[in-house]
Amino acid sequence: MRHRLLLPVLVGALLLTSPVRAVDAGPPGASSCTGCHAAKRIPDSVIPRIAGRKASDIVQFMREYRSGAWPSSVMGRIAKGFDDQQIDAIAAWFAAQPE
Amino acid sequence: MATRRTFLKLTAAASLAAPSIASAQASGRVVVVGGGFGGATAARTLKALEPKLTVTLVEPNPVFTACPFSNNVLAALREISQQQFGYDGVQKTGVLLAQTAATAVDASGKTVTLGDGSKLPYDRLVLSPGIDINWGALPGYDEAAAEKMPHAWKAGAQTVLLRQQLQAMDDGGLVVISSPANPFRCPPGPYERASLIAYWLKIWKPKSKLLILDSKDTFSKQRLFQNAWAQLYPGLIEWVSLSQGGKVTAVDPASLTVVTDFARHKAAVANIIPPQKAGTIAQKAGVADRTGWCPVEPVAFESTLQPAIHVLGDSAIMGGMPKSAFAANAQAKVCAAAIVELLAGRKPVDPILINTCYSLVSPDYGISVAGVYRPDKGVLADIPGAGGTSPLEVVGGFRGQEALYASSWFKTITTEVFG
Ligand SMILES: Cc1cc2nc3c(=O)[nH]c(=O)nc-3n(C[C@H](O)[C@H](O)[C@H](O)COP(=O)(O)OP(=O)(O)OC[C@H]3O[C@@H](n4cnc5c(N)ncnc54)[C@H](O)[C@@H]3O)c2cc1C
Repeated sequence: MRHRLLLPVLVGALLLTSPVRAVDAGPPGASSCTGCHAAKRIPDSVIPRIAGRKASDIVQFMREYRSGAWPSSVMGRIAKGFDDQQIDAIAAWFAAQPE
Repeated sequence: MATRRTFLKLTAAASLAAPSIASAQASGRVVVVGGGFGGATAARTLKALEPKLTVTLVEPNPVFTACPFSNNVLAALREISQQQFGYDGVQKTGVLLAQTAATAVDASGKTVTLGDGSKLPYDRLVLSPGIDINWGALPGYDEAAAEKMPHAWKAGAQTVLLRQQLQAMDDGGLVVISSPANPFRCPPGPYERASLIAYWLKIWKPKSKLLILDSKDTFSKQRLFQNAWAQLYPGLIEWVSLSQGGKVTAVDPASLTVVTDFARHKAAVANIIPPQKAGTIAQKAGVADRTGWCPVEPVAFESTLQPAIHVLGDSAIMGGMPKSAFAANAQAKVCAAAIVELLAGRKPVDPILINTCYSLVSPDYGISVAGVYRPDKGVLADIPGAGGTSPLEVVGGFRGQEALYASSWFKTITTEVFG
């Protein structure tokens, strides 16, 4: 009996992962980040992924990079190009991406 | 929410098959010319953002050879095969691949002519053909000369040739690098190349010297490079600026002589990085101006010379953004999103773009330059206060860390573009 209930759920799941599903482009600035912070897992990369991280963590890092409170090589220079609102939007978008 | 959107997409895709709304399908054909960092990114991003678009990528080479990290190939730190990427990953995203060159563009009829003479119609065209060498701009330097004095500014056979010449050179030989005036592909590239060749010479041919003849008085990350050269390769690299007579005015491939207004340098190996221009198809499409490069507006990178043609990457005049793979990839993602908006009859929002370019001064000594850009008064302008180069004074493992970031960036971006 059980499999009858399962079937529609499985079909639904397949549809969700089918290539027909569109992604959204994200707020201004977000798409540049994935050049380094990969959407997929990259073997041997020392650059942390941010997709699926908590938005509040991303916001805190970006603000601390920007102020210099948290030392960085390149992120401080990049964070200085974004205001609080832009950082919040980018963080929320990455938090919603699959981990 | 995802379910609802998915449903809508499915309905749209299903109904496209019905002949009744063939016109809706007609509004969604995008052709992308050039399967490099800009074009391949644009094609797959378009498809990801709007699966019902018909996206065709036009690229003659079955395998792309990446320039970033090709200087490591010269120094025998990598093999050319590690620079090479096929298009299976791009095709798997639903992008159609036309393995041929685009030979002409009819901007008013909105078609691209392919190698076999057939015509591909488009609603929006994206051109990301990279650079072509501006043959004729440097007296003596033509296609035949490039076989004797390689430019290696398009990675592939030229890179392998330059590496072979370095390996065949006697210890004590003079390596000459000629660096062009701005603008050109990869502003820090000639100096990264000088650094990694010096690294290799110091180990294998320590009596040799490297001379950079420059058509500029300043260059990207200059103090970082020069400090590192003094520390790592003392006495090995000499840089001659424009005002010191560094501008190369002619070359003689038969005698491997590099000529300036003040001297004739007889090289054992001569790497001529010549003046460049937008890929030839850009001229044919009528989107290049008298500078040889393509002016675009700063939101969707649509040509200011021809409607419905977008130009990306090295070919385009991108305001403050340098000609880099990072930049081409970032521009492509912005352009793809903007094209989806335009095709839907909406106005794209102002973007923000980032560029980060790493250079290796040695395999474990990396330096970087970054910038953040937004449209301002019709051009992509640097956001003031952001960006800049790595600090001149650092402690601990900073340079080593940046070298690791460089190779991680390469793996990430090539996976995003070709994976
Ligand atoms: C030595 C060196 C080191 C570099 N290092 C770095 C680095 O560390 N970081 C970085 O960010 N950048 C680096 N770059 C720069 C980077 O390679 C370029 O900026 C980047 O490739 C530009 O992307 P693009 O899409 O404009 O052109 P490309 O990536 O060159 O792609 C152009 C594509 O268009 C195709 N094409 C051309 N004409 C046609 C036609 N008519 N029809 C169909 N297809 C066509 C070509 O075959 C090619 O595949 C380096 C460059 C060099 C030379």
